[in-house]
Amino acid sequence: MLLQLDSLAWISISAYLVLALITFACAPKRDSGPSQVRGALLIVLGSVLAYAAGSLWLFFAGWALTIVPVWMEDRTAPKVMLTASGLSLFVAVLLHSAGEPGSTEHRIAFWAITLAVLLRKGIVPFHFWVNEAFESPRLGLLNLLFNAHLGGYLMIRFGVPLFREVASEALSLLGILAILTAVYMALLAISERRPRRILALLCTSQASFILAGLENRNVEGIMGALLHWWVVAFATTVVISIYRALELRSTEVESPAGFLGFAYHAPRLAVFFAVAGLALVGMPGTLGFVAEDLLFHGSIESHPLLGIGLPLATALNAITVLRLFATLFLGRRGSHVPHILDARPRERWALTAAVLVLVAGGVAPALPAALRSAPAHTLSGLLAKEEKEVRPPQSLHTSIWRQPAAR
Amino acid sequence: MQELVLVGIVAAPGLTFLLLAFVWLLGWTPRERVVARVTATVYSLMAASGIWLISMMIRDSAEATRVSFGDWLAVGEYHFSLELAGDHLSLPLVLLTVVLVGLVGSFSVRYLHRDRGFFRFFLLMNLFAFGALLVFTAGSFDLLLGGWELVGITSVLLIAFFDERREPVRNAIRVFSMYRIADLGLLLGIFFMHKLGHSARVADLFPGQWPNQSTNIAGWSATLVGLLLLFAAAGKSAQVPFSGWLPRAMEGPTPSSAIFYGAISVHMGAYLLLRAEPLLANAPWAAAAVVAIGGGTALLGTLAHRASSDAKTSLAYAAMAQLGIIFVEIGLGYPTLALTHLCGHAVVRTLQFLRAPSMLHDFHRVHTAAGGHLAPTGAHYHHVLPEGFRVWLYRVALERGFYDALLDRLVAQPAMRLSRWLASFEPKIGNGHGGRPAPAPATSRVKEIEG
Repeated sequence: MLLQLDSLAWISISAYLVLALITFACAPKRDSGPSQVRGALLIVLGSVLAYAAGSLWLFFAGWALTIVPVWMEDRTAPKVMLTASGLSLFVAVLLHSAGEPGSTEHRIAFWAITLAVLLRKGIVPFHFWVNEAFESPRLGLLNLLFNAHLGGYLMIRFGVPLFREVASEALSLLGILAILTAVYMALLAISERRPRRILALLCTSQASFILAGLENRNVEGIMGALLHWWVVAFATTVVISIYRALELRSTEVESPAGFLGFAYHAPRLAVFFAVAGLALVGMPGTLGFVAEDLLFHGSIESHPLLGIGLPLATALNAITVLRLFATLFLGRRGSHVPHILDARPRERWALTAAVLVLVAGGVAPALPAALRSAPAHTLSGLLAKEEKEVRPPQSLHTSIWRQPAAR
Repeated sequence: MQELVLVGIVAAPGLTFLLLAFVWLLGWTPRERVVARVTATVYSLMAASGIWLISMMIRDSAEATRVSFGDWLAVGEYHFSLELAGDHLSLPLVLLTVVLVGLVGSFSVRYLHRDRGFFRFFLLMNLFAFGALLVFTAGSFDLLLGGWELVGITSVLLIAFFDERREPVRNAIRVFSMYRIADLGLLLGIFFMHKLGHSARVADLFPGQWPNQSTNIAGWSATLVGLLLLFAAAGKSAQVPFSGWLPRAMEGPTPSSAIFYGAISVHMGAYLLLRAEPLLANAPWAAAAVVAIGGGTALLGTLAHRASSDAKTSLAYAAMAQLGIIFVEIGLGYPTLALTHLCGHAVVRTLQFLRAPSMLHDFHRVHTAAGGHLAPTGAHYHHVLPEGFRVWLYRVALERGFYDALLDRLVAQPAMRLSRWLASFEPKIGNGHGGRPAPAPATSRVKEIEG
């Protein structure tokens, strides 16, 4: 089947399109040139194609499309690492087509998929490309690329269902590396002073929670990961968009020598930044609180010792978020800092929409949880079954995501 | 009807916060008079409702008022139940919160008149009241965690209220760091409650009516959960070794100091232990740790209070000393005494904090009324101690027990060193300035960084 528009696909596509609209609405004019718009549309098209893909080949096509705009940039590490991820996925697709379930080819194919995911998501030791990518002035493009979370989607859609016989061992490694990434990036961020680098570390640390949660054998952790996916997507979009808006309003933002005090002139940007930043680290009243609560329960359940890394990373990231907020928005506005505009109407509505998603999800989490229920139950069911028996996986390929597994 | 009133009391400040935030987001900042009237109306109604609720419960000899909204979220075996409960422990604290926040709000209308952050203060005060009421009425520890975090965030944002100066902002970050690390104890404690008690609902974990509740969690399990909760409680209530944040929190406006660090927020740690009192009853080692930490804090508080040079810091340490004694009472198994002590202390301390800016005026008035300076009291205790020991105690008091320095040396500095050491292995890619060359800092800015 070429396309597979089941609940997992259409919910992911809808959320991603909303995210893309918010990113476009917040994009400053300087970042809206023809080449950047072309690049952004290519990433959106590739991501939507990947979400809707019913076969690994089509997913690969979408994955590859999203990498094309990176080649327009002059940054080596993102080019190399993302291309390597594409090649790794290509090898996996070839081997999967060639081999029988349970064969050596299948085993290698799954490890190739795992490598592609590690490279794409910037999991330690492949994390350094994210730092370099965040050096790019085109933060909007990077946001669209980063927040598609195709790595996690690949694992849910194809990785576990198609390669159940090897998924368990690889996922354990992936989960441990993801937790280590979360803690490592959070640790790096606490002594970092440059806002762009802080954003890169924060985004990578929080995004790695998704993989850590997906690896859990229990439905709580997987549901937490799927909800956290939206939290990371919407919260980092707000934070990145506001940072870029400030950067274009004042050059002081790039290397702040002290507290910049922008809240004085841009109180609404300050509030949006604070709410989204705190949602990212689990503020009550937002979807982040629910997602992290579930994630922690799932992770500590799966890895009693290593799982404590996630709450620890969240605590460190929360301190980093407040430090970044304080640097940008608090303090006395220095004489060298110019008067800046607050959120313009276009930005205001777009940021309000993103923050509303986070807050509404936090006030009534049953709705987002219901939307994510089918994949969460199915994935946990698959992983639980996989530990007991190995079944031919081809029959699972068609519509396993449509109904929640009976539990 | 009583259930509805309980829900109304808890929801009112949350709705006020949302209403004020929404109109502000639309571009209208309400005038001071509007904010003052809304606050006065809301808190008067809440106080009247609280008094009515308590009198109805006394009339009916009811043990508790419970409102259950079912599961807020149920995923697999995990259930987050949305339940409010007003019992003998929570209702006095609910009424105390409503009355004191209302009074502080009324005081702040004049105290912060024409202040740039007037509206921000009231917005955060309402969010704080909502968080505090959620903590006190939470029928499950999951819900309690939500209120607990809200209180922490509002507390930190109010410490940074006067952000024209750098110190309040730095202190806010410091306090937030302490809160977040200590909150790990609560998070893990709740996880183990789910594992060991198969629920985080207070009614499931501790059946019966406070203070005569019991629990099935016993032995090392109870000790583990008790110690984790103590860790969280010590962080929130500024007990040793986390005591260093309390004087730093005095950077906020006086009304917020009164309501947070004199009355409500700082007592939440004690409330948590009172709520989990059946666990402590089954865990003698954890109870002993509560007594030891409380005793140590009381001693430090009383010493540092005497050696503090400004009114608010002195009051902060005095509050810490009383909190230490409350912890000792809880650890020794006197929950009713601890609750009474807590309520009395909150009221007296709020008054003292609110009068702190007028302290000199008060002294002059008292001295004038007495016809001269009053003789200092308490000095005769000091003479019992050898002089060398007195000097040593004075140093300890001046350095506030060295706890801040110890935390810096043993936790903060190693963490920063580890972070920098790890960063040294990172590839040197870019300069973190969006592809442009890093600007050379001006001399003034270098000085600012070094300062």
